[in-house]
Formats: sequence, structure tokens, C-alpha cells
Amino acid sequence: MRARGVRLALIYAALCAWGLFALFPLYWTVIASFKEPLAVSQGATFLPWVDFQPTLSAWRAILFGIEKETVGRPLANSVIIGLGSTFLVVVVGAMAAYGLTRFQVRAGPLGNQDVLFWIVSQRMMPPIVTGLALFLMLRVVGLIDTRTGMVLVYTAFNLPLAVWLMHNFFKQIPPSLEEAALTDGASRPQILWRIVLPVSAPGMVATFLFCLVFAWNEFLLALILTFNNARTMPILIASQHTQRAIEWWSLSAMSLITILPVVLIAVGLQRYLVTNVLGGSGR
Amino acid sequence: MRERPPIAQPFPGRQSAAPFLFPAVGILLLFTVFPFLFTLTLTLSRVSLVGGLRLDFGGLTNWIRLATDDRFWNSLSNTVLIVAAAVTLELLLGLALALLMNRPLRGGGIFRTVFILPMTLAPIAIGYTWRMMYHETIGPLNALLDMAGLPSVAWTSDRHLAIFSIILTDVWHWTPFMFIVLLAALQALPGEVIEAAQLDGTSGWQLFRHIIFPMLVPTAVAVTLLRTLEAFKIVDEIFIITGGGPGVSTESLTLHAYYTGFLSFDLAYGATIALALFLLVLASALALVRVTRRYQAAELWS
Repeated sequence: MRARGVRLALIYAALCAWGLFALFPLYWTVIASFKEPLAVSQGATFLPWVDFQPTLSAWRAILFGIEKETVGRPLANSVIIGLGSTFLVVVVGAMAAYGLTRFQVRAGPLGNQDVLFWIVSQRMMPPIVTGLALFLMLRVVGLIDTRTGMVLVYTAFNLPLAVWLMHNFFKQIPPSLEEAALTDGASRPQILWRIVLPVSAPGMVATFLFCLVFAWNEFLLALILTFNNARTMPILIASQHTQRAIEWWSLSAMSLITILPVVLIAVGLQRYLVTNVLGGSGR
Repeated sequence: MRERPPIAQPFPGRQSAAPFLFPAVGILLLFTVFPFLFTLTLTLSRVSLVGGLRLDFGGLTNWIRLATDDRFWNSLSNTVLIVAAAVTLELLLGLALALLMNRPLRGGGIFRTVFILPMTLAPIAIGYTWRMMYHETIGPLNALLDMAGLPSVAWTSDRHLAIFSIILTDVWHWTPFMFIVLLAALQALPGEVIEAAQLDGTSGWQLFRHIIFPMLVPTAVAVTLLRTLEAFKIVDEIFIITGGGPGVSTESLTLHAYYTGFLSFDLAYGATIALALFLLVLASALALVRVTRRYQAAELWS
């Protein structure tokens, strides 16, 4: 019994150590956003009220003051491009996944599995490969540095993931429901709208959130394909880097604005991640 | 990853899947396949952007240049070192954490949430966070070392050490992925088998080595594959933490291709570096898929 208690204590010690390692950088970012410039530049300070006096000035500047203009447009771009591309990718991805689980595909020698594999394998393509060409393509058609261009690019970027996730969900929905409706004389669109969509809603929500996180965090393609008009939050944050001296306090606040929505989504998605997505993938 | 053929085939032949597949296939052809072919063309061209885009056939010039370019080989070896070291560490640490968490624990849910947090964050924000951590005069790591009476470390300005700082950041970022997938796999293992082994008196290392580990191998190989393919594309954190420096000692292939294509504006040569990265990813994918197949086959045989 004694040995068991020691064992458990050791396990907790290990878990706490890793937890500390995982959280400390985030803690540092949070406190940095509440520091005066002097509290940053005069050396590391760790505890608010103990070795530095917290201030809201960085947050005030971003939310109401001089930085508001700087942050406003990229934040709006991130929201519009993120939601727009994610909405599109869920619709297009769900259609493809539905087609692949409910019909026999024959494209020459290729069957359902081959088409699915082809779509999913596109995720392997390094963004820098397509990015170079997309830069020239979007320039030619006038979509460079536009929200429309970024929505389309991110839709393609997330499509393999969306098709794969939706395919896993549709596979779990028994087709007997749809068969029954079909014998009752319901039309195809009716079946899709009344039966398939409501049943697959949870899967679509999960797919939506996953793709939103990827679009929201994406950096390289945005770096290549936007300059000023359509630049997103990651690009705004990265551009602070070229300034003479980094203003860590306002940079930390901007980072936290970018991080926070995703953290909320991640905490909400956790259970889904474990049971529905990963549970069916490893084998 | 291939899966079983679809079980659900309620309307075979009655209607075509084409209308459902058309938009997805169209988007991928337009935004992935076509750009890929375009990049391939670029590697064989001389590009001029003066007065509109013009491509002239350049033969294998770019590829020959690549073969003799020290900076390319440097970024290649940096990328391979980062991938090999980071993925190995992430797998081992992720497995260790998953094993520790695979039991009823008070507060287990909180630990799980905290552990997966880093993998969800924007790589750019992570880059700046770690740039602060590594800062030699005002960063917390050196301050903590100082408090412990230890000498300061040149985390990102030492040309040999900098790449290990990049690896440490990647381990922080992506160990959660290995952890969460392996934990899910552990929890899905058949309980009867493990209980039976325990009744036979197998426990501890023996139990892990002979019962749990073999059942975990297919999942471990699969996550290693996924993580490896993603790690080859590393760029965001390096871009922020060191910008590839000091010198070019932390430059990855993607970063090298980006600098060449968009700072030196040598699109054709940038495309060649990018395509070399693609070939590397493809080769690793094929090699790892072979390994995956063998292990799954081994599992079926035993």
C-alpha cells in the first residue's frame, strides 16, 4: 500500500513537471502583456505585484488606442477568411465524402478508395511548393492580396482534412435511414436536407472547428500571398519582428488575441478529438 | 492511409457520384495540382517578371545549381536533423505521458487539457513566445539559470546550439499530438487481454514490453508517419525565433526556398528547392508506408 502511494506521488510529480513545462511559456506571454516597457527591458520579472507592477496599457492601446487601427483590419481579415474558407470547405468536403461513402465510384481503373486516397494525400504537399506558383497565378488573375483569393487557397489547403474527417463520420451513419426514405418516395435533395444533414451535424461541426483552427493559424501561404490589404493576424504579428526594437508587451497582447479563440475551441473539442476522430483513425 | 472499402453502398449504380465529387476535385486540381505542375515547369525555366511574366526554357540549369549549392545541402541537413531529433523525442515523451495518464487519476481531465494546449496554438505566436524565453538578457530561461547559480546559455546566438533550441520548441509544440493519439490508442486496447496477463502475474515492464507495446505499434508507426511528413515542412517558428540564423545554421528547406523565391526574387531556383523538399517528403512517405505495412502484416501473422 505504501509503495503504491509513492508510485502515485511519482506519477503526479512527472505529470506536474510536464504541465509546468507546457504552461510556463504561455504564463510568460500573459504576464508580458501586462508589463510596462521598463519591466521588460531591465531583465526578467516573474511575479505580478511582487517584482513588477502590472499595467493595462498594452491592452488599452490595442483595444481602444493607437494600435486599434493596426490590429482591426488583420483581425477582420482573419475572421472573414477563416470563416469563409471553413464554411466552403465543409460544404465541398461533405459533398465529396458523401459521394465517396454512398456511391460506387468508377473513374477508369480507380475506385472509391483510390479517389479518397488521392484527395487525402494532397495534404502531404508542402505549402511552399504550391505557394510559389499560386503567387504568380493569383497575380495574373488579380486575386493576390485579396480576401477572395485567400478564401479559395485555404479551402484547397483544408480540403484533404475535411474530406477525411467527414468520410469517417459518414461511414458511421447507417445507410438504412436513407434507403427507407427513398422507398417512401422522398427525393434526393429532400433526403440530403432532411435526413443526412441533421444526422451528420455533429461531425460537420467538429470538421468545421478543426479546419477553422488550421486556417486561423496558417502563416506561410498568407506571408506569400498577402501584403497589406488581406494580411491576417499571424502576418501582423510576424511583421513586428522587422521593427527596430520589439515591443514585447504589445506583441504578447496581439499573440494572446490570436491564441485565445483557438484555445477555447480546443478545450471544447477535446472529447471529440479523443473519441470520434482519433478513435477511428489509428487502425 | 488506406481504409477498408466503404460498407455503405445503398444505391449502387443508381446515380453517379460525380456531382458530389466534382467541386472538391475541381478545387484540388486548380489550387494544388495545377500549381504543382506550374512549379515543376518553373524549375526547368528562366523566369522574367519584367513587363509581365515570361518563362524561357532553361533546361536543367536550376537542378545542376542545386546539386552544387552548399546552402541547399546545409538547409537539407538542418531539416533532416530537426525532423529526426524532434520526431523521436516527441514519440518517446508522448508515449511516456500517455502511459502515465492511462489510468484513473484525480484531475486527469485537467492534465489532458493542459497537455494538448500547445499543439493548438498559432505557430507564429509560439515562435515569439519562445523567442522571449530564449532571450539572452531579458528572457526567463537565463534568469532562472542565473538564480540557480548556473552560467547563461546562448540559446539562439550560438551556431551549434541554435538548432537544438528550435528542436526544443518543436518538441514543446508537437509532443501533445503524439500524446493524445497514443492515449486514445491505449484506451482502446482490449481490457481483457491485459487483465488476463495481469492474472498470470505479468506486470510492469514485462506487461508493457510483451502485451501493450506490440498492440500499440501500428498506431505509433502511423503517428510517426504523420508527424514526420509535417515536420519536414517546418518554417514558421524558425522564421520568428532565429530567421534561419546565426548565419544559415538553422535554415530549413522551406525557409531557404522562401528567401530565394521572395527575397532574392529568384522564383525558378526557389521552386527547385521547394520541389526538392517535395521529393524528400514523398520518398519518406513511401519508405514509412512500407514500414507501416510490414508492422501491420506482422501483427496479423502473430
